[in-house]
Amino acid sequence: RGSRCSASPGPGRARPRPPAGPARPAGSLLRWASSFSEPGPKESGPSEGQIFLSESCVKRLLEIAEGSEFLRLQVEGGGCSGFQYKFSLDTVINPDDRQGRRDVLVVSGARVVVDVDSLAFVKGSMVDFSQELIRSSFQVVSNPQAEKGCSCGTSFSVKF
Amino acid sequence: RALLGVRGAEAAAFLQGLLTNDVTQLVAEGDAPRALYAHALNVQGRCLYDVILYRLHRSTAEEPHILLECDSSVLDSIQKHLKLYKIRRKVTITPCPDLSLWAVIPGEQPGDASSLPKCADQALLLTPDPRAEVMGWRLIAKKGANLSEIIPGSQVGDIQDYHRHRYKQGIPEGVKDLPPGVALPLESNLAFMNGISFTKGCYIGQELTARTHHMGVIRKRLLPVSLPGPLPAGGVPEGAEILTQAGKRAGRFRAGAGELGLALLRLAHLGEPLCVRLPGDRLELRATAPEWWPKAAAK
Repeated sequence: RGSRCSASPGPGRARPRPPAGPARPAGSLLRWASSFSEPGPKESGPSEGQIFLSESCVKRLLEIAEGSEFLRLQVEGGGCSGFQYKFSLDTVINPDDRQGRRDVLVVSGARVVVDVDSLAFVKGSMVDFSQELIRSSFQVVSNPQAEKGCSCGTSFSVKF
Repeated sequence: RALLGVRGAEAAAFLQGLLTNDVTQLVAEGDAPRALYAHALNVQGRCLYDVILYRLHRSTAEEPHILLECDSSVLDSIQKHLKLYKIRRKVTITPCPDLSLWAVIPGEQPGDASSLPKCADQALLLTPDPRAEVMGWRLIAKKGANLSEIIPGSQVGDIQDYHRHRYKQGIPEGVKDLPPGVALPLESNLAFMNGISFTKGCYIGQELTARTHHMGVIRKRLLPVSLPGPLPAGGVPEGAEILTQAGKRAGRFRAGAGELGLALLRLAHLGEPLCVRLPGDRLELRATAPEWWPKAAAK
């Protein structure tokens, strides 16, 4: 935990950045570009709010998503603190769905989709895949809208 | 009291995360009860609204239609509360101004209970009050319905008699008895009134409530009290301190009607002579544990 590198954010678990990797030949870049032009959910603009994916989230999604599956994040009312996150693997996109930031989703097959209503509660958050002794799961971390939550992390209340 | 209609496929699931009691019991297959008592708590575990849920739909094949009874002064506030947590749930929330809600209290003579008829056409629902047998039944009918047709031999009473009956029995109801953000559900005898499930999943305010139930001791409870002496003009104020004869703090007055009321009292002082402290006066006060409490409760 040194303080030598001020540019990178410290040894946290989740931060957005393009994956490190060897330089790739032009042919492969073209291949990625074509996958982005596929029809898909509209990318959320700055006014609607954006969500970010951590490296571990992208990695885990690539492991588990089959075919056209993507990770859906919803916010539901209820739970110990008022609102709770719900993760699921889904294949159906609806007109009011929004997709996580593209410049983090550099590999097709690792998509996170949120409907506009839920996005209002999670905009600016990061989705992480955290592996702990108690459980391994997708978690919403650093939600700028959320106030204290319940002890297990599933539920949160909102700053008004 | 006012009625709010909650309809839709997700009605029960929606309410489940917001209320202390197990709403799935209300909508279960087979011989499910038609009424359920519950509180909506805030995130800190304090009471916000005391409600009674009624199941209007008769079978699980029909679209769920639940009525929610609440204090009429918080109808707008509870609607906002529900809408805040609705998000994308497939439910509609609408007031029901064309319905009227009645409390049917058993008469003095024994045998009145068995003579209660089944629902007539004008009654949407007639069901035992889920809180306690001493509260009789709840009746939901269209506004202007003829009650003596629905329940022959009954008389329309004065609402003040209803409140006096509640205070005599020790049944809190509404925002005066259960001030939002102040009252605690377990101290308000929610468990004795069949209003809470300790085996259901998460709901708002569950953490403190479950922890108190499993690990804590409940030292104070809302108790029915009576003031035998002369009463001050305007009644006893909410929050008035109650003391033992030795001057030790025993609790606080909550609300009342005439010489009857409810007070939050330390159970240790139950049965002792007590008094309410008012500016320039001390009124004698007596507290008793209600008959309908579980026998081991008054400790």
